[in-house]
Amino acid sequence: MKQAIQLLTFGVLLTAGAAQQPIDPDEFLRLEPVLQAAMAKAAPFVVTVETFGGTRAVLGVDGPADGDAPPLPRPPKPPDEQPKPAPLPEPPVVPPEQVPPEGEQPKPVPMPGAPDADKEKPKDKDKKKIPLVAPGFQQTQGKTSGVVLTADGWILVSRFALNLDPTTILITVPGRGTFHAERAGEDTSRGIALVKIAATDLPVPEFVEPAKVRVGQFAFALGRTFAADEPTVHIGIVSARRRQFGRALQIDAYTSPANYGGAVIDVHGRVLGIAVPLSPSGRNAGVEWYDSGIGFATTIADIPHLLVRMKQGEVLQRGWLGVQFETSFLGPGAKISGTPKDGVAAKAGLRKGDILVAVDGVPVMNGPHFQMLVSSRMGGDPVRLEVHKKDEAEAVEMGPLVLADAPWSEQKQKKGDDLPASFSLPEKNEGR
Amino acid sequence: MRTHLAILWSFTVPLAAQTQDFGKAYSFDERKPVSRVEQTIDHFLPSLVKVHGASGLATINAYATGIIVSKKGHILTLDQIMIQKDRTRVVLYDGSVHQAELLPEDPQLGVRLLRIDPALVSGELQPLWPGDEQQAGYRTGQFVVSLGNAFRLAEFSEKMSATFGVVVGRANTALRYRIADVKYDGDLILTDACNNQGHYGGGLFTLDGRWIGLNTRLLDSKETNTMLSAAIPVRDLLPYLEEHVLGKRPVEAKAAKEPPWTGVVLFQQAGRTSPPAYVDRVIAGSPADVLGLRPDDLIVRIDEYSIRSCRELREILAKYGAGDTVKVTWKRGTQVSQGELVLASEPKK
Repeated sequence: MKQAIQLLTFGVLLTAGAAQQPIDPDEFLRLEPVLQAAMAKAAPFVVTVETFGGTRAVLGVDGPADGDAPPLPRPPKPPDEQPKPAPLPEPPVVPPEQVPPEGEQPKPVPMPGAPDADKEKPKDKDKKKIPLVAPGFQQTQGKTSGVVLTADGWILVSRFALNLDPTTILITVPGRGTFHAERAGEDTSRGIALVKIAATDLPVPEFVEPAKVRVGQFAFALGRTFAADEPTVHIGIVSARRRQFGRALQIDAYTSPANYGGAVIDVHGRVLGIAVPLSPSGRNAGVEWYDSGIGFATTIADIPHLLVRMKQGEVLQRGWLGVQFETSFLGPGAKISGTPKDGVAAKAGLRKGDILVAVDGVPVMNGPHFQMLVSSRMGGDPVRLEVHKKDEAEAVEMGPLVLADAPWSEQKQKKGDDLPASFSLPEKNEGR
Repeated sequence: MRTHLAILWSFTVPLAAQTQDFGKAYSFDERKPVSRVEQTIDHFLPSLVKVHGASGLATINAYATGIIVSKKGHILTLDQIMIQKDRTRVVLYDGSVHQAELLPEDPQLGVRLLRIDPALVSGELQPLWPGDEQQAGYRTGQFVVSLGNAFRLAEFSEKMSATFGVVVGRANTALRYRIADVKYDGDLILTDACNNQGHYGGGLFTLDGRWIGLNTRLLDSKETNTMLSAAIPVRDLLPYLEEHVLGKRPVEAKAAKEPPWTGVVLFQQAGRTSPPAYVDRVIAGSPADVLGLRPDDLIVRIDEYSIRSCRELREILAKYGAGDTVKVTWKRGTQVSQGELVLASEPKK
């Protein structure tokens, strides 16, 4: 017993000693080589993305977004079925004396027969709008960054890079040269897109599973916007996990158009996520947060099945059931206050007053919890519900129901609305 | 407003006269620096000065920072409107105020030397001088301390502000950030150690005690709203310093070259936006023809400069002269090719 007390005292002393350790004067000097090594490991797979041309305006009346203009529908087609460019005819030789001064004869822009020419034409009404992505924020075609996904030429980029629907996308892989890229699918809820280049044996990063990421660990955000020979770096820590319904990490390293699409790496040079503009409510662009100390790194290690769908050209969106909740009902379960006509829930027979008890076997605590459970799924995903119908004694199983894509009106930000839809703010006059 | 300023100034002069007591009252020198960050700050602060100049307009800040570069009283700072003859004063580390004489500026770098009378300085000045390639070298991901009088928070002998961050990267302003009031076209050190008004003219230092950059204006991209702190690498300041501090003869400027000509006729559209640089025609026998450029090729890069529009191609080519060789990257269909093009001068008609 005495020994035990002595040991305990010793332990307490040890702990106290550890807590009073002097400051390491060379702390940051020691971190430098760690950062350098991580950068050196990550540099080969962080690529430069350049875009050219493109007319589609991405814009909002009072704001956002990367998200405000719905993605253009694009039929799924594997990239190897893209039309091959026709062989170019011999260029006509123009004698020097007949050449008019530069810039006098307009003719329609690009390259007949080239693969770029058959891109979708923008709608006229979009053309008139200014390409604003956030108030005071105008997007142009600066370079952005991307990350190699597979050795056979799949590259992950930020959707931000493709906002203007460019006619030409070029990817520069360090040490390997510049490649023409074909656009494939994208995930609007994660803010990422896939492009394919004709290259093999590309350096592939190691992706860290989001579940293994610790809040507070170092996060280095790499980009390729400014210099071609080495990536730029901003340092920070992981601020939070499971943002955007489990789709992204929050980091405090500066993220901006200078490193959107770039890799956010850990001290071992492994990829934690891809830096993208997102916003907490998931409905506005997120670019208004740039360089603010609130950045997002989309995690992709846990979505291999989605990458398969994106490679086929699918545009993935957040899943949507189509229910509204009574905010006064505090649970357990989520009480439905309305079901939009075209929603999945309405079609499945859910009505006002029904209580949702469980999603895929997970008991529902309340409305926001239910929204969390559903919104972490994608459109097209099946979901099983347990519902306590209004006029029945027992809860019943429903489904599987196939979630729809969240309608654009649901995803984009409404004026003065920066909270998830399931929370309602008190009326202004209330309590005064 | 003017009268207020005058009153303020009349108060400040007697204060400056009692500089020694004032300096002691605000001194924290008893505290010993512990970490490398603290050591770096303490080591370099005595070499930095506060620069106060003429104000007059609400939008012009009448303050900046300078770096002592010689024991003869030379002080390097960023050239700004507020630096005017007879109205520029320098406040040393100990809080003493000195009238500064203006030396010729370098319009390319946007820097200017001031000079104070070393005889009026109590004690010895602690100058900094650009080191050799290795001494002045820096790497992306290196931790740095930036010193300067941001927003004029420090008065008299109060210590200037220090900010901490990493070297974000090395960039050429012309790559993306084209702004009118920075003529400097060399490499810049980008950092996330904050650099605000008043910090300009201050220094950027590594934790192993080296001076690597002179803080310059925030790079403010109107196109993307991105702002970045930047510093001019000290090696690039050396020729100007050698000429005006050491009195070395400047290197003779090279004779201007004839404007370059490629033989490419770009496709142009009437309208405000300039389209991507598609080749409309190539003049037979021209440098572009020799290289193999053809109609409908898209020119995407000249050397390391990205070309996003016809306008940018003209701007970038204007940096070169006839006889220069540039590396051209172009896209034809899905093929991206690169080749060297020897710029010619335009054939006479």
